[in-house]
Amino acid sequence: MTSRRDFLKTASAVALAAGAAHPLLTWADDAAAISVPGKEGMIVRSYRFLDLEMPVELMTEWITPVQHFYVRNHMFAPAKIDPSTWKLTIGGEVDKPFSLTLADLEKIPQHTVTNAMECAGNGRSMQSPKVPGIQWGKGAVGNGKFSGPSLKTLLEKAGVKDTGKHVMFRGLDEVPGKVPPFIRSIPIEKAIDADTLIATHMNDAPLTTHHGFPARVLTPGWAGAASCKWLTEITVLDKPAEGNFMSPGYRLPNTPVKPGEAVKPEDTHSVTGLAVKSLIAGPGDGAKLKPGKQEIKGVAWAGEADITKVEISTDGGASWNGAQLGTDHAKYAWRLWTYAWKPAKSGDYVILSRATDSQGRVQPDAAVWNPSGYLYNAYDQVKVYVQA
Amino acid sequence: MSRLSAYLVTVALVCAAVVSAAAAPQNEQLPAGPMQEKAAAACLSCHEARIIVQQRLSKAAWAREMDKMTKWGAPVDPADRDALIDYFSANFSPEQSPYVAPRTSGKPVSKTSAKAKH
Repeated sequence: MTSRRDFLKTASAVALAAGAAHPLLTWADDAAAISVPGKEGMIVRSYRFLDLEMPVELMTEWITPVQHFYVRNHMFAPAKIDPSTWKLTIGGEVDKPFSLTLADLEKIPQHTVTNAMECAGNGRSMQSPKVPGIQWGKGAVGNGKFSGPSLKTLLEKAGVKDTGKHVMFRGLDEVPGKVPPFIRSIPIEKAIDADTLIATHMNDAPLTTHHGFPARVLTPGWAGAASCKWLTEITVLDKPAEGNFMSPGYRLPNTPVKPGEAVKPEDTHSVTGLAVKSLIAGPGDGAKLKPGKQEIKGVAWAGEADITKVEISTDGGASWNGAQLGTDHAKYAWRLWTYAWKPAKSGDYVILSRATDSQGRVQPDAAVWNPSGYLYNAYDQVKVYVQA
Repeated sequence: MSRLSAYLVTVALVCAAVVSAAAAPQNEQLPAGPMQEKAAAACLSCHEARIIVQQRLSKAAWAREMDKMTKWGAPVDPADRDALIDYFSANFSPEQSPYVAPRTSGKPVSKTSAKAKH
């Protein structure tokens, strides 16, 4: 039997003979896998620059191992940051601008927040009509334990003036061409919340480069873009930061628009807190199940709100039953859930999950379409076949 | 082209499509076509082809992306703009099947949820 590699060689030769191949178009050696040390088994949305997604079937633990935590880089990660010379400056609308070393940061009282971080664009590939951007499936989300000083402590030391309304973050990303730098700001009210951190640790270990070493912002409950990585500058502003990643980037229409419709910039607002959402980690979509008892399981989160309920339908949405919520919980964290199911007979089933939160928000059957595909949160769905 | 080579090309293309559906290659390429070289020169110094080939956009949306990227420094001769938009929208339109992303090598540390295997 011809091996796949031999076949590809043959196919390539045939294509060349037919004049179909262009000198730039070479058959990639697809036997050479993409290796990202410390990020094994991740879905590659982009390798250069790096965007990695967690396969949904791995969402079985309350704390997501760093190895499986999604990575969203808008630019190139800094080639090298020397922690001994790295510095964080705090300035702008403050009385006493100052700078800190990593050692200084570690001397400030530490605070830990367990946070379900999700990329604003998670689920974008499921939007219809399609929208441009990284075509995330379900897994640009993870639940991590972040530690470091509260941003509030640093702002208090600097003394924010009455004119300080927004806090801007700048990272050390390497920006190619004339691409605008990844600069965003958060309102002062969120910045002085004790749970908003300058995190140096994730899951009890120093941050890895992929997650923003040596320090990143943690804006809990908000879309990941509010949690700037490789942080080097904090500037207090009298108004929101300007630039592509504040507008038109990361904005939602003020009122729902018809799918496909353009939205005027003045009719939009910044993405802030995450939506209420659940995902089914198992069984996998397309699974063939043996008859008898099944366990349906997954995760649910709601940004700044708490999950109060996860319901499961095994009949395509005609009826719903409550799932058992996991015992591990914390403000901003995701919640594991399980549901015991015994299918009455063999055949095809559509399993749906929907979450409800403490603000009364309910995961909808269809997500609200928007031009950039942010905060997709329709019911999760898997189709399975139960064997006779 | 002889009937045999035409047949072989068809087989090769069909099989290549099957292979790419199973797992996209490490070094994603822009598809063959008259604008391939210019598209590569315009786009691939800042990001890999995978960011392009995973999109499924209308021609109007491709035009917006082209203009945004040109503003951000993509070297595009204004005379090539429309042909590049045609090239991207012909190859990556909403009608095409979704891009199947590869995975990084190595074993996951987390236990896969029970019965998630197909």
